[in-house]
Formats: sequence, structure tokens, C-alpha cells
Amino acid sequence: MEPPAPNPGHGAGRPMATRPALCTVRSPVALQVGDVKTDLAQPGVAVIDVALPPAQPLDLQEIVFKNSYTAFLTVRVQRRRPCDVGRASARKWVTCLWNHCLMPSPHTEAGSQDYFSLFRHQPSPVWLHFTLEELRLYPRGQQSLQTDFPSWLSHLAPQQQPENLHGGVPDPEKVSTEVQQLWVLTEMIRANQTAARIGRFDVDGCYDINLLSYT
Amino acid sequence: MAACEKRRSAPAPATGSGLVEPVRAGVGGREPESEAEFLLQAGVTSMVREALLKVLEARPEEPVSFLASYFEKLVLSGPQGGAAADRHRQQQRLVRALWYVRLAHHSHRTAFNNNVSMAYECLSARGRRKKPGVNGRIYSELLKKICQDGEAPEEVVSSLLKKIQCRDHEAVPFDVFRYGVLSCFVLLEFVAKADTLYDVLDDGSGVADKRVCQAVLGTLEDALGASDFSVPIRYLEAGSKLGPDCLALAMDKALLERKICSSMNREDFLKKATALFIAKVKPID
Repeated sequence: MEPPAPNPGHGAGRPMATRPALCTVRSPVALQVGDVKTDLAQPGVAVIDVALPPAQPLDLQEIVFKNSYTAFLTVRVQRRRPCDVGRASARKWVTCLWNHCLMPSPHTEAGSQDYFSLFRHQPSPVWLHFTLEELRLYPRGQQSLQTDFPSWLSHLAPQQQPENLHGGVPDPEKVSTEVQQLWVLTEMIRANQTAARIGRFDVDGCYDINLLSYT
Repeated sequence: MAACEKRRSAPAPATGSGLVEPVRAGVGGREPESEAEFLLQAGVTSMVREALLKVLEARPEEPVSFLASYFEKLVLSGPQGGAAADRHRQQQRLVRALWYVRLAHHSHRTAFNNNVSMAYECLSARGRRKKPGVNGRIYSELLKKICQDGEAPEEVVSSLLKKIQCRDHEAVPFDVFRYGVLSCFVLLEFVAKADTLYDVLDDGSGVADKRVCQAVLGTLEDALGASDFSVPIRYLEAGSKLGPDCLALAMDKALLERKICSSMNREDFLKKATALFIAKVKPID
């Protein structure tokens, strides 16, 4: 694993990462919808798996990576709670980051080669297995994300889990899944705006000759 | 029987190909041509290839009837004259364009864009006397037909159409056409998902608590507003707001804050949710 890349512009006052954690980063796997033979365009979605050494819990704090023309990033983590050790089926996937926008305008260069760092200020529960998913380029396929290495895993500032949810509260996980999809759809339509214009010059018929009068 | 079908004049046979066979036995006096050449010259090869590509893209449940309707639509053409025939042909073009845009889901980006191009070309060919191009009227008709298919309420559809429709006489460029068509399909999906969300919020009872609905929609609105900025950190914030923890807090807080319990029905919820979506659709100007 290579040493961390420099982090320009990140604030002072936080402890520097000491050493990158050992992990295996697999090369990106493109996800392609449709028949590989007939679809000539580059796929817009790729997945990068990162596996931590088994049986070695890791308290992760930060991920640093260098972008290479990726527009949106999603990070998902598979974690196992301490009480579930021993049950292979108990692993849960948690979405830490959904469609995080790395490039404000996917067609232009802004953000295309930046270094990004995801950091949080409090340690989170122990993680056993971590997978990084990277996807969603709008609208064209581009090169894949180069992860230099993840030094620590970060989780966005964890909220206080409400201890006793009020009786009538629906399942937050399900609500979250649906709402996130609504968010994605809306962001998608915003991202797909067209610059083309009809070029209307109509002023509601105000200058229709028949409406002119001398009074 | 052979007299009713026009035979194409066969080219000189490919000598030495070894595949030369007369296509119809017993019809004398014609030069035989190789099967492969005949297919190529008739345009059958490219036509069948196109048809296969469409099947692969669309993956229909009934490939045979899909292919049948595909070929049926291909046959639509013909230099008949008259205004009635013109209108009829325009209706046929509309139906065909509608069929094209429905072939692939909008998330299959390449296939969807291809299909929209085909639909645009199909609508552009307007007959001998008219100039080619898509006018606002047929574009608006297509959008209406797309939206009719889904379960979106009338009000919601008309507020979207107000933003993306074009006037009858206006010439619609391809980008605008694609954006309009895409917006309609995404709206239909949005409505379906908002419906599912209501199902989650009502917990099976059929009616959802107004405070909870407002909390959830408010959080979504926050997230959409926050992601306006071009700074990456804002997207992080927006995404984290929609995580289960945040939503649970918001819903819990809403229930504790206001003790008066009232309900929001499905139509109101859909209206409010889709308003958030439509606000982000850029109006055509």
C-alpha cells in the first residue's frame, strides 16, 4: 500500500492518521446493464471491493482517495455487531454515503482529480468487514476511481440513536431506503437539465396589433 | 403465384461460391443469386440485426409478439395523399414513438437515449408537404400519453407538463425533447416510490400520521436544498440527513412536539412529495 496522498485544504486541529491499515483493494468491476455485446458505450458504474483482514477488528476513522473522473460515490459497509459474532448470516450492509457528489458538473474537469477525505470526529463501533462501492456517473461513463488506499474507515457523524422510539414511528430503515430513492430521482432530474432553449420571444400577445388603442 | 410477387432482378451469380441455388424452384429464366447476397441486398440482414438488438435491449416477456409488433411498425410508410391520411399517419407515428420510448427503463442510459433518438426521428418525418422536425403539438401529445400510462394523479401531471410543454407551433430541439420525455418517466417512478413510502409510513393502517409525513417530507426538502451547493461536503450532509438515524430522530421529535394527532391522506402526501420533485425540474424557455 502506498503512503497517503497529501490533503490540501483540510483544517488543522485534528490528529494526523498514523499509518494506513492493511487491507486488500480489488480492482474496479464495471457494472453494465444490458447485453455486453450490443452495448457499445462505456459502463457508467463500477464497484471497488475493499476487504479487511478477517478476525481483526478495526476502528476506522478516515478514508483518503484520489478521484479520477468519478462523478458520484457511494460507500457501503458490511458490519457485524459484537453480539452477532458467530452467526455468518448476521452481517448487515449499511450505507454510509449515498451518491456523494465528487464532481459538481460531471462533464467538466472540476473535481475530477481532487483528493477527497472522509473524516469524522468520533470513533464508531467496531467494523469487521468493509466494502467500498463506487458508482453512479451521470450521464456518461468515465474512468474509474483510483483508491490510493483507505487508511481508516470513516462513518459520518453518528447520531444519537433514540433509545425509546415513540410508539407510532414507522421503521426508520425502510423509510430511509424509500426517501433516499426519492432523493436520487430528484437529483438525477436536476443533473440532467438541458441547456437547450426554445427561444421564446412571446410576450403574451401584448403587442398584438388588434389590441392597440389610442386611449 | 409467382406473378403476384415482384422478383428482384438478380445480379450475376457469384461463380465458384458453391452456394448458388434458385430461390424458387420452377421459375425459369432468372439468374440465380447466392442466399447471403440476396439477404444483404434486400436489406434483410440489417433489418434482422436491428430487430435482434431491440429484443436484447428490451428483454420482453413475450419476444414473439414483441417482434411481431416491431415489424408491423416498420411497415408504416407509404406515399398516400390527403389530409385524412396525413392525420392517420401522424397518429401512427405517435404510437410508434410512444412504443420506442417505452422500450427501455430510463436508468438504462444508453438504451433509453437510443430509443428517444429513434422516437424523435420518427416524429420528425412529417410527410412530403411539411418541413421535417418535431413541433410542440406532437411533443406535448407524446408527453401526455407517456404520463397517462402511469398512476400519477392528474394534478401532478399537469404541473409537470406546465413546465416542460412547448407551444404548438414551436420547433422542439432534440435536447428539449429528451429532457421532457425523461422527466415524464422519472416522475412516474417518483410517484410510484412516494406511494410505497406512504405505505411504509401508514404502517399498514391505510392512513398515515400527518406529523410523521411532514417530518419525512421536511427532511427530504432539507436534503434537496442542501445539495444545491457545488461543495462536496454539502452532499455528505444531505446524504447523512436521509440515513435511518436522522429520520428516526426527526419522526420521533415530530410526534413528541405536537400532541394533536391528525392524519394526512395519500393524495395530499403525493401532492406534497411530487411538488418537491417538480420544483427541481427546469422549465423550458
